[in-house]
Amino acid sequence: MALLEMKGITKYIFDSYGVAIRNTTVKILDKVDFSLEKGEVHILVGENGAGKSTLMKVLGGLIPPDEGEILLDGKPVRPRSARDALDLGIGFIHQELNLCGNLSVRDNIFMGRELTHKGMKDGKEMRRRSEELLKEMGVNIDPDTLVKNLSTAQQQIIEIAKVFSYDCRIIIMDEPTSSLTKTEIDILFRLIHRLKAQGVSIIYISHRLEEFERVGDRLSVLRDGQYIGTLEKEAFHVDRIVSMMVGRALGAMYENTHVPGGERVLEVRALRLEPHTAPISLHVNRGEIVGIGGLVGAGRTELAKSIFGYRKSFGGQVLYNGNPLKKLDPALLIRAGIIYLTEDRKTEGLILDMGIRQNISLASLFRLFPRLFMFGHKEEELARDMVGRLNVVCNALEQTARTLSGGNQQKVVLGKCLATQPKLLILDEPTRGIDVGAKAEIYHMIDTIARSGVAVLMISSDMPELIGMSDRIYVMREGAIVVEITEKAEMQQETILEHTIGRTGGVA
Amino acid sequence: MQKKDTLETGWTRFLKEHGSIIFFAVLFLAASLFVNNFFTVRNVFTVIKQAAVPLVACMGLMLILTTGGIDLSLGYTLGLCSVLLGMMTKRYGFPAWTAIPLTLCVGAAVGLLNGSIVQFLKVPAFIATLGSGYVLFGIAQIFGKGDAFYQLPGDLLAFGTARPLSGLMDKLPEGAGGNLFLDQFFKLPAYVYIAALVAVIIFFLRHKTTYGRSLSAFGFNAATARLSGIRTARLHVLTYVISSTLVALAAVLLTIRVDCAQSNLGGSNYTFEIVTAAVVGGTSLFGGVSSVVNCIFGVLVTKTLENVVNLLAINIYLFQPLMGLVILLAIVLEAFKNRKL
Repeated sequence: MALLEMKGITKYIFDSYGVAIRNTTVKILDKVDFSLEKGEVHILVGENGAGKSTLMKVLGGLIPPDEGEILLDGKPVRPRSARDALDLGIGFIHQELNLCGNLSVRDNIFMGRELTHKGMKDGKEMRRRSEELLKEMGVNIDPDTLVKNLSTAQQQIIEIAKVFSYDCRIIIMDEPTSSLTKTEIDILFRLIHRLKAQGVSIIYISHRLEEFERVGDRLSVLRDGQYIGTLEKEAFHVDRIVSMMVGRALGAMYENTHVPGGERVLEVRALRLEPHTAPISLHVNRGEIVGIGGLVGAGRTELAKSIFGYRKSFGGQVLYNGNPLKKLDPALLIRAGIIYLTEDRKTEGLILDMGIRQNISLASLFRLFPRLFMFGHKEEELARDMVGRLNVVCNALEQTARTLSGGNQQKVVLGKCLATQPKLLILDEPTRGIDVGAKAEIYHMIDTIARSGVAVLMISSDMPELIGMSDRIYVMREGAIVVEITEKAEMQQETILEHTIGRTGGVA
Repeated sequence: MQKKDTLETGWTRFLKEHGSIIFFAVLFLAASLFVNNFFTVRNVFTVIKQAAVPLVACMGLMLILTTGGIDLSLGYTLGLCSVLLGMMTKRYGFPAWTAIPLTLCVGAAVGLLNGSIVQFLKVPAFIATLGSGYVLFGIAQIFGKGDAFYQLPGDLLAFGTARPLSGLMDKLPEGAGGNLFLDQFFKLPAYVYIAALVAVIIFFLRHKTTYGRSLSAFGFNAATARLSGIRTARLHVLTYVISSTLVALAAVLLTIRVDCAQSNLGGSNYTFEIVTAAVVGGTSLFGGVSSVVNCIFGVLVTKTLENVVNLLAINIYLFQPLMGLVILLAIVLEAFKNRKL
């Protein structure tokens, strides 16, 4: 009998009030099954948004499932908080570290359950036990060191020690190596083998193919919130894994009525995102949709923000209509006809407390009202026009953006961008987290914009979208462009995915 | 797009958006009923005259609060400007038409300093202006040598105390001459008109210009504002400059009104009073939300309270704890208003 079994876990998407929308075709998790044996390392893979993290959050007690059950040792359990899960022996190590830098290792390990002696904190005992624990894990860290003085890998280890000290039988690791160097990864893997030997089961979420073979015993694939299948170690083949990860048919959602022109609207020459990353060069023509693929963290958003002057970049040159831009600054670029639709609509795209009208006109105030005073009906006409063109479902133009659904919020942000009458549109995940209907409408809009001659640069983690919309695709990895795909025939999900995770990694 | 009735009725929306007007109306009614000598023409005009100068300062502070910042140096800026005005006119004999613009320039400089510290050095406005406030107070003490300047020159006093409409009184038809209301109205000094003019200008600036809209957007969400092409750094610093210039104007008017220029004309009590007026006037301390009309009523509320305490003649120190309670009440009500259901 498996140590852990998750059966038919289903999770619906939420509306803006946090209530699950049940009458929708989109589910974050759709009847997902998952099992874990004692002492195994089970790899969980899938594209961005496939539901890996959501599934683990359900197991870790962070979000309740809408349907399905969790069996631990054959008995049904339902963790309702992270603490609940810990009491059941399920520890969660998040992608971002959750440690207090200004406290010592010892205090971090015992946080929230400090040992006491006659009502006072018993530092000595906590020190002794921490030392024992760390020794047991085979690492040499002084429990009195402040956490901020440790390296990222050492902090990762403290995080593991903290979870381990709860006598966890199951440890969930969500992309633990994403911020580690090669030697630090080696330390982590040694620790994983050690934990395994002690009978601890580990669920390991990762994107890196080369890690699968090194630590994995079994591997399960999720795609679009559905469980696809599980492979034994002998069956770990890149082609197999990749085809399981992508294998869906492209629908007829994508329209391609636009025709790319010849003139280069945007040209980036040798721009570096960080001093140590490789230089980036790319170009976008009039009426062309150029996609940028890659994993989250590959530097795609950083590239867009660098071009738009919202982030520092190093060296290089950005040319707009053939002329080098002297100063990259959002205000100047918008006035020149460049607009950037941000990845996160809530924190960087909308003013949530303002109405639809105010949001749509926000980036165009300089154009609508060049003389400072806002008299007349120009703003309302613009908003009404955009709401109509984008089919925003709302009660009134004054409705606050906060109360709109995700898809309608995204349409408002797109409306704000289009209102500036751009010649170059940079889109960052234009359809993230919105339903299929709104997606199709946005695709139609993007195609229409391109047809009118606007150059479009589109960052997307959604493979079908990237392939379906783009005339050319650049793939990014580790802050640089690794390949440019110019032929439609070469735009295969498998090809792109191999470039995004780096086939050269060792698995073949 | 379909029109659908929202849950909020017109009445609850009015209550939420114009709470200070209700607050003032209730206070005014209660004071009229229960406080002797409150509801007299002379007393009501006294409240209006007392509210004029704080209104000018409050208009400035409201703009800063809209960015999500605060200006705790307000009272000290006022003291410094007062002392400098007194020195220029009394000690060095500057004419009013030179001294007043120079004082306004000092205010603008203080705003430039505060705004730059907040915008470019990324110091929270709270700390930045608390620090700069003490520096300004110190400078005012050094310049003024702790003295106060009394009996200011006539040309300076005329700027604020002239009665622009008094000439009209003679032109009144027979019978209206004895009307106390008209008499008081026509005798209103110039500083009341200046304050009213400032309120009108700031009303347009805040509610009818791209500056006001950008300011509100910046206060709600600075990242979105900047990514939407708003020149946020310039907007932010400019707001402090406008605000402190208005505080300098308030300093000029107050100095004239009390005919005394000294460094502790303002001080932290004054700052607190203006902050209270703005918060009672529905201005959010988290930025984004503010209204000129509501702020006018916020100032009227604080001044009416002060007036009532004076009339009751119980204990003059009752005013401060009362103001404390009012600001607490206003903040609790604001939190209640913004509660997400």
